[in-house]
Amino acid sequence: MATNEPGTAPKSLGEKLTSIPKIVLYVILAVTASAALFPSVELPTKPSAATIDLFASLMSLPEGSTVIVQSDWTNSSRGESAGAMEALMRILIRKKVKFALMSVADPNAPRVARDALRRINLELEAAGETPYKKWEDYVELGYFPNAEGTGNAMAENLRTAWAGKKDQGPNGMTDVFQSPVLQDIQRIENVQMMINIHASDTLNRLIERIGRRCPLASMCTGVMGPETLVYYTSKQIVGASVGLNGVVELESLMERGIDPDISDKDAQDLKNPVQAKGRPKIEGFTGKKNYARGMQYYLSLHSALTLMILAVVIGNIGTFLSRRKSA
Amino acid sequence: MNLFAQAVPPPPSFWNAPHGSNELWLRIGIAFSLGLGLIVAFLFLPTKARKPIVATATFLAGGFWVLYYLWPTPEARGPRDIPEGFFEGVGFWISDAVPIVAGFANIINAFIIGLGIYSLIRVNIHRIKRGQKDWMFSALLIASLITMVVFGYWDWNMKKNDPTVVENWTFVQLTSDLLFDGMFQVMESAMFSIIAFFILSAAYRAFRIRSIEATILLAAALVVMLSLMGALVHWWDGQVSTMAGWESDHFANNFRLSEMANWISANLRTPGIRAIEFGVGLGALAMGLRLWLSLERGGINR
Repeated sequence: MATNEPGTAPKSLGEKLTSIPKIVLYVILAVTASAALFPSVELPTKPSAATIDLFASLMSLPEGSTVIVQSDWTNSSRGESAGAMEALMRILIRKKVKFALMSVADPNAPRVARDALRRINLELEAAGETPYKKWEDYVELGYFPNAEGTGNAMAENLRTAWAGKKDQGPNGMTDVFQSPVLQDIQRIENVQMMINIHASDTLNRLIERIGRRCPLASMCTGVMGPETLVYYTSKQIVGASVGLNGVVELESLMERGIDPDISDKDAQDLKNPVQAKGRPKIEGFTGKKNYARGMQYYLSLHSALTLMILAVVIGNIGTFLSRRKSA
Repeated sequence: MNLFAQAVPPPPSFWNAPHGSNELWLRIGIAFSLGLGLIVAFLFLPTKARKPIVATATFLAGGFWVLYYLWPTPEARGPRDIPEGFFEGVGFWISDAVPIVAGFANIINAFIIGLGIYSLIRVNIHRIKRGQKDWMFSALLIASLITMVVFGYWDWNMKKNDPTVVENWTFVQLTSDLLFDGMFQVMESAMFSIIAFFILSAAYRAFRIRSIEATILLAAALVVMLSLMGALVHWWDGQVSTMAGWESDHFANNFRLSEMANWISANLRTPGIRAIEFGVGLGALAMGLRLWLSLERGGINR
């Protein structure tokens, strides 16, 4: 008489749904996320209050003023941070805001930031516009190996904290405080804003040390988002863009601008400005390249999240069917 | 004597010398030799004698920062401001000292990076010498380290001395770019992208409805995940608003995906994170006190 051995019994639907091999999931993810990079589509997005405030703060910077960009990301978070860096650079360059570039998180960060800026400059050259010039428009301060001490020193005396820092001027390596970027900066209070692009908790160090003296803004990865938004809700930072979603939101704001008086219905149309109650009306950069790296990766994010939700749902359906069968 | 005379331009004193001068290099050399001598002397001390020295140095170093946070320091101070009385004098002294002490900390941190590299080289050369298992990976690591340092420094030095090098790519620059941008950066991106696969696999296997708590967690996670898809949020919110007749105070607006995600963020996630951060802060304070007062066991206090 033939009997079914326990190990050879055919799997039920529930068991099949709960035991999809890892490799199948991996292949589906790799194929869907990669394939989604190729089509050039502009997906709609609804900017969050934190991103709108970041955009409004950046757009309110006076022309010719100086900000500090603390670039604390490397290619490990390129998917999110590179888009954030590039969007920030586009805004600062279009607003003619000078900036000092520094890093505290990783020794690789300065070169990664430099590469991102080079890409933007090449883009400007290709569009027949003037690239941002080192020394005149921005200076590089390099890597500071101690975030806490550096933050304290900058808060107390920016001139002493950065004493001895040199960058390539017209006559060779020169003290950065002789540059047009920093010549009028005596202390941290003279800096219009400090923007931290980060994939770790370097923003906390800044809030603790510099937050009272200079407006801070964050462009963080999705992982750092929940922690960062705590400081946004307590108004310790003026705005934040979180993860790839934040980058796309910022790109969308750069394209559409914001309007406090536009109705919900009109704001639903992607050609109209984004509704931003209680904030000033700000025009976008119409006709410029606004949708860039963020939007390029956005379909991939959609496909990866859809796959993850489907995987969770399928797993739970399988569990439910298995339990019902065994009951 | 002004110990903190590094202001710009620095007035000449025993503690400084013109940038790039032989005198400065001589002083750096003497200071380095003295420091090295102190370390060697410290190594020959018996353990019992080391403990009070380490405890005193730790207390003084930590004490400065405690003083910095507790003692009132001048706000928005101008270059011509003069302190009045003892309390303001100490406040001004602390304020002047912070960048200098931070400079010490930067140098010590840079030395820690150097120490890490030394340790890495020592361990891996030891493995190569003994021909231990996978010694070829150690050899590759040492070769990569040397190549990256040589070409990185060479490239930096060329650019520093001749800015036109940026426009005229040389063999050195090409090699440096190939190593950093073409290999290291790409490998770093690839390594971290692997996390996505593990997250997907873990979500599929572990995110199951097994209890009320798990169900609530799953529902909240699903709303947050859905809210990260801008196209879906745009469509969903549009549908809800249409149902609500585009009235801004309609009850149905609470079911917009963006509203639900914001509610979860503002009322569940943010307070939760604040509570965790508060706990972590208290723990860090307790740990800091133990380290500052050399009460923590381990290291020299074993």
